Amino acid sequence: MKSEQPVVLELRGICKNFGALAANKNIDLKVRRGTVHAIIGENGAGKSTLMNIISDIYQADAGDILLNGEKVVFKGPMDACAHGIGMVYQEFMLFPDLTVLDNIMMGFEKRRGGIFIDRKKTRAAIEEICRTYHFNIPLDEKVKGLAVAVLQQVEIVKVLYKGADIIILDEPTSVLTPQGIEGLFDAIRFLVGTGKTVLFITHKLKEVMEISDYITVLKNGEVTGNVRPDEVDEAALASLMVGREVILTAQKVEKQVAAPVLEVKGLHVRDNDGNERVKGVDLAVRAGEIVGVAGVAGSGQKELVEALFGLREAQEGRVLFEGADITSKSCRERRCLGVGYVPQDRLGEGANVEGSIWQNAIMGYHIAHGFKRKLLLDRREIDAFSGQVVKQFAVKTPTLETRVRTLSGGNIQKLIVGREFLQKNKLLIVEDPTRGIDIGAIEFIWKKIIELASEGVGILLVSHELNEVMELSDRIVVMYDGKLFDGGNAGELTEQEIGLLMAGGGTADESGRKRGA
Amino acid sequence: MKAAASAALRAFADKKSEIVKYLLAFAAVMLIGAGLISFQGEDPVRALSAIWSGALGGRIEIGNTIRWIIPCVMTGMAAVVAFKSGVNNLGIEGQIYFGGFAAAMAGFLVQLPPVVHVLFCLLVGGLCGLLYALIPAVLKLFFRIDEMITTLMLNYIAILLTEYFTVLVIGASSSTASNALQTPPVYETAKLPVLIKGTYANAGIFVAVAVVVVVAFIYRYTIKGYELRQVGENLRFSKVGGVNVVRTFLSIFLISGFVAGLCGGVEVLGSHGRFVSRFSNNLGWDGIMISMIAKNSPFGVLFVSILWGVLKAGALHMERVTNTNRLTVVLIQALFVLFVTIDYKKIYAFFRGRFGRRAVQKGGAV
Repeated sequence: MKSEQPVVLELRGICKNFGALAANKNIDLKVRRGTVHAIIGENGAGKSTLMNIISDIYQADAGDILLNGEKVVFKGPMDACAHGIGMVYQEFMLFPDLTVLDNIMMGFEKRRGGIFIDRKKTRAAIEEICRTYHFNIPLDEKVKGLAVAVLQQVEIVKVLYKGADIIILDEPTSVLTPQGIEGLFDAIRFLVGTGKTVLFITHKLKEVMEISDYITVLKNGEVTGNVRPDEVDEAALASLMVGREVILTAQKVEKQVAAPVLEVKGLHVRDNDGNERVKGVDLAVRAGEIVGVAGVAGSGQKELVEALFGLREAQEGRVLFEGADITSKSCRERRCLGVGYVPQDRLGEGANVEGSIWQNAIMGYHIAHGFKRKLLLDRREIDAFSGQVVKQFAVKTPTLETRVRTLSGGNIQKLIVGREFLQKNKLLIVEDPTRGIDIGAIEFIWKKIIELASEGVGILLVSHELNEVMELSDRIVVMYDGKLFDGGNAGELTEQEIGLLMAGGGTADESGRKRGA
Repeated sequence: MKAAASAALRAFADKKSEIVKYLLAFAAVMLIGAGLISFQGEDPVRALSAIWSGALGGRIEIGNTIRWIIPCVMTGMAAVVAFKSGVNNLGIEGQIYFGGFAAAMAGFLVQLPPVVHVLFCLLVGGLCGLLYALIPAVLKLFFRIDEMITTLMLNYIAILLTEYFTVLVIGASSSTASNALQTPPVYETAKLPVLIKGTYANAGIFVAVAVVVVVAFIYRYTIKGYELRQVGENLRFSKVGGVNVVRTFLSIFLISGFVAGLCGGVEVLGSHGRFVSRFSNNLGWDGIMISMIAKNSPFGVLFVSILWGVLKAGALHMERVTNTNRLTVVLIQALFVLFVTIDYKKIYAFFRGRFGRRAVQKGGAV
């Protein structure tokens, strides 16, 4: 069927080194017009580097890029863009205070007399694109306040407006609900139907099987497989990616549930702009229990977690830890009581990338669990604890003095998780513990979370990865618009049912399927 | 083979790039300096040798160089303490004035036994610098007013207020007599002993070195120092980790103010023997420049301060014996800061992106 399509983009022998690290080794890739070509691989496998080479953010050390059979050398990202290569990044690059229209035309305005912006003409062009590709986006609304799924469509329209012929989508589904993902897939199918080409980067195997025409697997900077989805199954793909069998289903252990360690009663929390983001939350986490909070990003999880850990003031309501009121206690006091926290923002809050491994490993521990010497740093004790974190959590690092900046995302996350998990806490608040890390590390962290719960630690798992919540949790709650909805015990509700709760109980259509028929 | 060679080259470059940067900056500054001196109709070599002989030419010259090294080290340390932890204390100049004035007051109003007196005066000076730093700290913590602005403005208040206090102390009548407003001299017991006769090189150098050693020790070996550094490098991380960020912020501000005040005290008790209005003449800003060149390293400050002292002492001599304006040296110092703090990699990347020359295959390794 689609194998007859001409090759639109070809890479020959692409190599890229960063210092001693070979990010891409001799990569060959053929992408055919009008197909969805998935690039999969663990984090650090070289997917992003490769995409950045295609869009000329980086320059390859060796190798050629061929567009429609002709060798091209771009003069910079803008030039790549002019050649029809458009990239939609994982983190949206939009100005929240500008309208959708302004965001799309930014830098590519149609002009009148060379200097004046011709808004009418620009608008007409953008509306034409929306019509052609069946996008229904509110051009005159400001970007802030729009649903994530809509923002993603804005990003896609943006690259289409810039004349993209090959669209690179970098982990596009990580921010969407199951329904939102369906919407995106419909859009992708429509795009390739009109002759556009989509490069789809992901680590979610199920999606790859569903949407792609071709799959290229990367591992350690090399291509380990070129397959079609009908030739393989998920397990085969996973072993191509990791090089061994992976079990991504959590092995749960039976345990008794004890008294609650965390109780939340009628909690209301506001964000920095004074908007109420948590609107009356009741919640309990018992010792040894994993309570999973699912929800679309921005439903108030961030404010809830911050209030629970003392980083944000609660407007109303109470937070109890082992029966004692801790609503107005600081992070420091909560840590001393035995509350641990794995923040979502790994580099912003979880680690100091400028610091060394040991400096990161003892943060928090040095206060709550303490060293014998209160004034001077005791290098022996520090090395003992940091060494334990590094060893038990398999952090790959040459020394304890190594700067955290040089570690991969997965290793940094293992360091953070290890630091919090080894502190003999009674309650752990864990936020997106496996975001953007490789499958091997995910498997490892999941195992550790389950181990910890079986030792009697209460765990509140807040994750935007629905799969993660469903695999790990004993009990699921769904956050929508600042409120919690019961998602039942593990296995009671299907993914689709929880997806509906995430989108507002199925009443409000937040799925992002705002496209025309 | 080629890739391996280029990788090795880059690793080498990463390690050495800092040193190379300093060397290049120094060379560039020397070139521009030579140009400036030539422009004034003087031979650069002669001007440079005048600086050298003026700063290190003999016992007296070395003594005066040491005299200038002392405040450079101390203001540099005041800046390092603040900047290392992310506090923008631009008010070192003002804290010097308050520290200096208070030390002078304690020096001629109070009578104490020899060694005790001078230590007492220094302590008072430091504490007054600390109190003066408390104002912007409180404004920042409770009213969220940016300390960059408050400390900057408080400098002018400090200069004029200490001048006014000086008038009050000596009585309004005498203020017209001389153009330099100054308090009566401090008691001999309050003076820092002179180390090299006939110069102002005084025991303040020991205070300065002690400050360097203590600060370096705190950062390297204490838990508090560990926290201070983490707060400076990533505030959110420290907060989540349970560090009391407010208290840390406050203590940084106060320590920085204390060191600045101490510097004022050393200047007054060591070099001037009394409070002279506007005596500091931008020592505080010297400190900020020094800490920037030293990249906030305590021992780096010591090293840069020696260079600074040489330039300061030598510049005066250069002006005396050649036709070169002393301000040329100030200009050169500022240019040095500029060249050292520029992010050359970014500029390189910018131009590479602009003109898109693919011939040179060097990526921005991130």
